[in-house]
Amino acid sequence: MNSQEFRSNLLLKRPRYAKSRIPVLDAFSEKGSKTVDYSRFGPYYEIYIYAMMLGIKNKKRLPLPPRDLTKDFIEIGKWKRDSSLVDFLLMVIFTKTDELAIDWNELEDLEESELSNVISKVVSLIEEYSNGGLEYLEELWEKGELDSSHYMFIDLYKDVKKN
Amino acid sequence: MASIINSLSFKNFFNYYGDYDQTEYEFKEGVNIIVADNGAGKSKFFNAFLWLFYDDVLDSDDKKRKAVKDFAVKIISDKAKNETEIGENVETGIKIEYSTGRYKFQIVKSFTATRIGEKISDNESWQVVMNDIEIDKTDHILPKYKPVYDADEKHRIINQLILPTLRQYSFFQGEEVDKMIDFTKKSSIEDAVRTLTNISKYEDIAKIVEDIEAKAYKDLNKQTKQKESHNERLEDALKKREELKNSINQENEKLEIQKELYTKAQEEYELLDAKYANASKRKELDEKISIKNKTLKSASDEYQRFLEGINNRFFDGNFSWITLGFENVVEDFKNKISTFRAARYEKRTLLQVAESPNDYFTILPSNSPDAVTLQQMIDKEHCYVCGTDAPKGSEPYNHLLKLKNRPNESSSKKQFVKNDLEDFFSRLQLNASPFLNKFDSIPQSVLRTKERELELKKRLDKLSSEVKALKSQRKDLLVTSNQDEDSDPRNIINQYKGSSNRMAQASTKIERLENTLKELKAQLLATEKEITSLRPKDIPEGYSANYEIAQDLVEATNKAKERVFDKMVSLLENHANEHFQNLIKYNDIKGGVLNFDKSPSGGISLDYIDEAGNEVSGASEGFQRMKKFAVVMAIISANTSNYNYPLLADAPLSAFGKAFNKGFFEAIPNVFPQSIILVKDLYDKDSESKLTDLGAKLVKDENIQTFYLNEVDGELAQIERTTKIERRK
Repeated sequence: MNSQEFRSNLLLKRPRYAKSRIPVLDAFSEKGSKTVDYSRFGPYYEIYIYAMMLGIKNKKRLPLPPRDLTKDFIEIGKWKRDSSLVDFLLMVIFTKTDELAIDWNELEDLEESELSNVISKVVSLIEEYSNGGLEYLEELWEKGELDSSHYMFIDLYKDVKKN
Repeated sequence: MASIINSLSFKNFFNYYGDYDQTEYEFKEGVNIIVADNGAGKSKFFNAFLWLFYDDVLDSDDKKRKAVKDFAVKIISDKAKNETEIGENVETGIKIEYSTGRYKFQIVKSFTATRIGEKISDNESWQVVMNDIEIDKTDHILPKYKPVYDADEKHRIINQLILPTLRQYSFFQGEEVDKMIDFTKKSSIEDAVRTLTNISKYEDIAKIVEDIEAKAYKDLNKQTKQKESHNERLEDALKKREELKNSINQENEKLEIQKELYTKAQEEYELLDAKYANASKRKELDEKISIKNKTLKSASDEYQRFLEGINNRFFDGNFSWITLGFENVVEDFKNKISTFRAARYEKRTLLQVAESPNDYFTILPSNSPDAVTLQQMIDKEHCYVCGTDAPKGSEPYNHLLKLKNRPNESSSKKQFVKNDLEDFFSRLQLNASPFLNKFDSIPQSVLRTKERELELKKRLDKLSSEVKALKSQRKDLLVTSNQDEDSDPRNIINQYKGSSNRMAQASTKIERLENTLKELKAQLLATEKEITSLRPKDIPEGYSANYEIAQDLVEATNKAKERVFDKMVSLLENHANEHFQNLIKYNDIKGGVLNFDKSPSGGISLDYIDEAGNEVSGASEGFQRMKKFAVVMAIISANTSNYNYPLLADAPLSAFGKAFNKGFFEAIPNVFPQSIILVKDLYDKDSESKLTDLGAKLVKDENIQTFYLNEVDGELAQIERTTKIERRK
């Protein structure tokens, strides 16, 4: 597997989320149709990325439930097309070598199947952080601790102590 | 002496539940105010006087007057009806006490209803008997009431409270002010003048002298014909006179038609006058609103888009909010990638050395120095890397040559790892660069976003309050002009202009006809002179003299009549202006006077002329009403003697505006010895005192003699409802 193949294999992955998160996803993205007094995210991947980064900031990883209780959505490669956003996100993820239990150099010597496994681990890490972030959001939401404002998400993001 | 109403009380009369002593208003000379919200007894108060004067009441459902005897069941208080058992009876009535200089009168009009059925609101459930009018009279000196029995005297006593001919100026409800003096009808001022002057006597005299003149003329002609000496020339002249008279009659008829057309157009014009100004203002406002709305819409869209885009700034490389707090990733990644590169380089080098130990070997990064620099080093026989000379043929020189001829690494790169991921990691770092240099500017960028939002929001709020202000102006216009929301201002504008054109046309024709008539009359005069000189000289002198005297009398009477009329009109004009100035004392209307003008149709038009002498048209309805009220007051005050009757009015103050209200209450005592004003506009259910600011001020005003507040508990069922009268002063 060369760089090109590795990248495309990774970008073709469709991360999953727990079905139980659908209400919170809908509440915070434009897919939900209710009118609200705070600015929402656009497509699902936005809230998903936001939750993931929030999860990372909070060091909150939460494994997904069994597969049939989850749903996938668009491939990572289609998140914010023509943007280097995904590159930045992967930078963040790939620096987490301890959590992924990988060594970049060792990756280069893995068998194809083992490398595919690594890709799965990367996707899992994304999913778990996102799930953790979503749970955090959901808790705040249910406790009524999210102040409905147009700056709710950036304010919340700022307030989390630096990673 | 003036009639002053001392008290008015009710017995089970509509919502005025209870006996006379429970629902009593006491009044004094001067201004008396009753404040009542809708449904709190205002129209019932008027109904008492309608009953007193006309045996009618106004049906509030269809706004038509109904005879008390036919409407009785509805007049009885529902609470009283409900409390009356079948077989028992209930009395309903009104009681008015008024005094003139010497006497005091107490008038009671009432009926008794016996309940004979179950359903209290059915006419069939009640048997109604009208009671005789009870009037008691007392002398101020001997305060003992004595009943009046004589029907004529009773009638006279009721009429004396407000004379029937003057009731229209003294007893009115709201919009009636408009109808009372209807300037569109040419007769309205004439009627007023007639009421106030003895002009009808002049008219009677004019009629008598005209008859005398006709008879004198006839007699004269008879004499003329009896004389044989009358000749053909005289015959011709007499014929000519007849012809001219006929022509004059014909032209007069035409003139009447034109005058009628003029009057009609004028009626329409006056009717539309207020609406026209209103409509053109509305049209103007509509245009303004439409433009403002468009701006508002685009500002609102922009704001909405901005709000929707706020979270987009997390993911947009220009803002990169998502990187906030991930500063260390850059360093972390950089360290990791250099460790990664070093390790794989080491690995490759070791591999290379192991495979071909004698082959070219360098620890410089691959492909460096580049080919151009190498060639320079060979040419100059100097190594830039270690800074030593490399003369041709020496070992360093040969090394440079070897380097230059090294195999192209990329093409002959050997696979030394299973998965070459160097490019993958390098690309991540390279691509992500827009997200890697914004960390410091994010707090600033969030701040600027908030500022920008505030800016947009401010602009939006400003625009929307501007639109709101325009819309409320438009609504006010609709309210003051009683116009429908849907009525197209353009129609009104067109109709208004049409009626104005028709007035101008009729006016031109009237002028032409009047000129013709003038000429015809001049011819007639000349003809009559001719006839006089053609008449035989031997007619007995008495006949000619009679005719001439009669002619003079007709002319004199007509002139006297006109003079009296003109004098009265100018007197009215003076008085009206005086009152008008008082009424508008607190309004910021500059100068200006009311001007009574004879219209081409012979009526009198009332215009408001500003300082520059221009007619001010189409002012607000409140203003129009002020004009009229000034005229009503003038009609009363222009009367040589004092006005002796009270004013009973439901004042539609809302149409007037605050400043006018103040003027109004100050001005009425100048004309009316007593006034009882019912108003709803001073009521404010949310205020602690239940009065508006102006209401609270008026309670303290020394001009106001008594002040009442009516309240009805709207929460209660209709059969429980009663009007509570609370005296505040």
